[in-house]
Amino acid sequence: MSAAVTVGRPASASPLRRQAASLAQAWRRLRHQPATVAALVALVLIAVAAAAAPLLAPFAPDETDFTAALSGPTAEHPLGTDDLGRDTLSRVIYSARTALLVAGGSVLVAMLIGVPLGLLLGYKGGWYDRLGSRGLDVADALPGLLVGFVVIAVLGRGMLVLIVAIGLIFCMNFARMTRAVTLTERKKPYVEAARVSGLPHRQVVFRQVLPNLAGPLVVQGAVFLGSAIKVESALSFLGLGLDESQPSWGGMLGLAAEHQADHPFMALPPGIAIVVTVLAFNVLGDGLNDALSGRRPTRRRRAARSAARPQRAGGIPPASAAVAEQHPRAERPVAAAQTVRPEPAALELRDVTVVADRPTGETVPLVADVALTVARGEVLGLLGESGSGKSMLAKAALGLLPAGVRLGSGSVLLHGRDIAGCSDRELREVRGRSLGVVFQNPQANLSPVHTVGRQLAEPLRAHLGMSRVQARERAAELLDLVGVDDPRRRLGQYPYQFSGGMAQRVAIAIALAGEPDVLIADEATSALDVTTQSQVLDLLLDLRERLDMAVVMITHDLGVVAETCDRVAVMYAGQIVETGAVRSLFDRPRHPYTAALLAAHPSADRDVDRLPTIPGRVPLAGEWPPGCHFAGRCPFVRPECTAGPVPLTDHVRCVRAAEIALEVSEVAHA
Amino acid sequence: MNTTQALLEVRDLTVDYDLGGAAAWRRRTTTVLQGVGFTIAPGETYGLVGESGSGKSTTGRAVLRLADVTGGSIRFDGTDLATFGRETPLSYRRDVQAVFQDPAASLNPRHRVGRAVTDALRRHGVRGQRVREERAAEAFEQVGLQRAHLDRYPAEMSGGQLQRVAIARALVLRPRLVVCDEAVSALDLSTQSQIINLLADLQAQTGVSYLFIAHDLGVVRHISDRIGVLRRGVLVEEGTTHEIFTAPRHPYTRALLAASPASQPAGREERRARRLAVRAAAA
Repeated sequence: MSAAVTVGRPASASPLRRQAASLAQAWRRLRHQPATVAALVALVLIAVAAAAAPLLAPFAPDETDFTAALSGPTAEHPLGTDDLGRDTLSRVIYSARTALLVAGGSVLVAMLIGVPLGLLLGYKGGWYDRLGSRGLDVADALPGLLVGFVVIAVLGRGMLVLIVAIGLIFCMNFARMTRAVTLTERKKPYVEAARVSGLPHRQVVFRQVLPNLAGPLVVQGAVFLGSAIKVESALSFLGLGLDESQPSWGGMLGLAAEHQADHPFMALPPGIAIVVTVLAFNVLGDGLNDALSGRRPTRRRRAARSAARPQRAGGIPPASAAVAEQHPRAERPVAAAQTVRPEPAALELRDVTVVADRPTGETVPLVADVALTVARGEVLGLLGESGSGKSMLAKAALGLLPAGVRLGSGSVLLHGRDIAGCSDRELREVRGRSLGVVFQNPQANLSPVHTVGRQLAEPLRAHLGMSRVQARERAAELLDLVGVDDPRRRLGQYPYQFSGGMAQRVAIAIALAGEPDVLIADEATSALDVTTQSQVLDLLLDLRERLDMAVVMITHDLGVVAETCDRVAVMYAGQIVETGAVRSLFDRPRHPYTAALLAAHPSADRDVDRLPTIPGRVPLAGEWPPGCHFAGRCPFVRPECTAGPVPLTDHVRCVRAAEIALEVSEVAHA
Repeated sequence: MNTTQALLEVRDLTVDYDLGGAAAWRRRTTTVLQGVGFTIAPGETYGLVGESGSGKSTTGRAVLRLADVTGGSIRFDGTDLATFGRETPLSYRRDVQAVFQDPAASLNPRHRVGRAVTDALRRHGVRGQRVREERAAEAFEQVGLQRAHLDRYPAEMSGGQLQRVAIARALVLRPRLVVCDEAVSALDLSTQSQIINLLADLQAQTGVSYLFIAHDLGVVRHISDRIGVLRRGVLVEEGTTHEIFTAPRHPYTRALLAASPASQPAGREERRARRLAVRAAAA
């Protein structure tokens, strides 16, 4: 509920996530559960008996034989008869039909109502969720049977009414579960990535979120099938379920209750049938749950295998003819990296302010007055620690700010067009075509339930209007472009079958699918091993040169900046404190914070006895001082620093920049 | 080096992981560590570097008795851990502590952080809640936190502060060896250098030894006395920090060093060209 404003690392994968891909494994685990196998066999037998009732049952369910009324077990009637002389065995078998029909139908009704409701509440969030959840609570508080009574009282008796009544009782549970799963999945980076790739909400919900529900739905479904049979029996027992003519276990029990004193055996056959069926469904549900949520023992082995496989060496494979064709800009020589070119910026942020609306009603700034340009073919580093607002800034540029956080003011210009005021639909188009993004955790960026090929082809078909065949062809080219071996075969694989570095290459390929002008890499290599990181960074540099893309490299790693960026913007507590060409910024930092960061960086190519540190910590959003945000930790602080807001003057936000230039530079190279 | 004085002596350590298989005869295993050996002297920091899957964390887990050892021996202060049997004596648990990568995950979100420290004290027989709280407060101050932080919940603290709590929890028992598994990897630069210095200061004060496991060569360089380089479960090179960084002998060590980003942009075009050439040659 609270407006979370921290930008954390992506949450680790939940056990639900790779379900679809591990169905085969779940099945293998299932086979090693004798109780579940027994339950499954029992249910299959019951289903077969129900289906083949006319063949199996010795008599028709309503065939009366008054001469044998209320007989106990005899040779002719092995389970006896009822007061009209109807054969109990036959009625038990025919009742299985009723039970399974009603149970299946009602669970289907419950899912059809509950799942969309849960998806809506979970995905929309906010007021929908608050009102809806309270509604669910109220509905849940009503006793189930009471709901059944009311529906039957209003609509009358009958099979269909019974199905609807029981469905209504159970739909709340499905809604609740769906909402919970949706809530957790919605926040995952891969759902965000799907939105970044420009998919409409409908597709995000049904293709990204819904598959995660498959497991829990199957489990719940199995358990509720059992419960539905209980409710059906209870209602029929009370004479509220089906008519007399329709054989049902509950109805048989009701009849048996009337003759409890003189013919106690009558209650046994339907009673046992109910117990066995319900028990089997519950055991099956439990077993499925265990099998689906089981640990994946092959993870370790896969990691070992991918480590053993030699990483693809060499940077980029030659682009295929089609790639070159589709990128007329490709192969253009890159101008000298250090010069700031006069051509219009690929991406320009003008005085962007991002604010969070706290539940208390106050508005807290997270990013303040950021002005930034990225030219075509340029790699801009956005360097900052956590809490600096660098990721929020990227999300603002992408139009992906989380709930409770919004663009306070300013504009986001993409090739001169302001996209900050765009509608959701226009933004999707922009994100799909002009802006690409790669997040930190490659595995979390990709949907675990779809093949890589499908995730690559989807934006191609949505934004470039390609046919299925064209999209697949292009998807293979993209994988080839980012250096994935044997792309055609790997299109059919799931993300978990890729190592971290390879998965990040796939994420980059997806980001490149719409041929974006600007690629935003948000800590894109932070989770990778150094050798893999250097390969992915070299890949990005190579793509920049070949596609003349602008790259915004958001990172906390000074080494990444040093190796890849043309220009750097250093962020601290929501503000840009210094921008500059990478070499001059590393050689002669002008802001005390930049200098302190450079000094604190433990690098493999540098030997210092003791790392200089920056005392204290980054002030939290909402606790920023009125003057210089770094004043509290700055060794050069003077009273004038805290007097009032410090403007960015000549690319540095420090009132003493000119007078302390030498000392600041010395801090960095201490 | 001097085995007679070693605090920790790992010899020919081999660890197999079980890959499952329901029955004993169908069980398959994979070797994640093979013949790893090194020693750590009292007051020394031994850095263990390698990429994911190299077995560096497994080594730490074996020392912490969190991973089953298949072969070889681990001796702590002269005692072979194998003689402990299944139960790890409390004294070993007191002497050997750990700090892990994700401080938020290693603290219960529902408990006040001070409780992580007082619970450890209680487990190790420190009587009296008042006494325990006092010692927790001392430990907090030792790692640069304030007394007021004891009553905070993990969600209310920054990553650096949480890592300080984790360090306080590890050090409050006055251990002789702390296994730091990627202990500063999740931290911001300014916080990271604070924690690295804190670990160094605490070592100077208490004489504790560190087994410092990390993938970041820069961090390892700054904290370690000696370094071992692990690759696919095998220790490919070992030497003093100076030797490893100035005269690496194994090609893998050289590749690792070539891949780590430099501290300044100067010469990066040459570095990139060299990387591409090395990869092309390997292809």
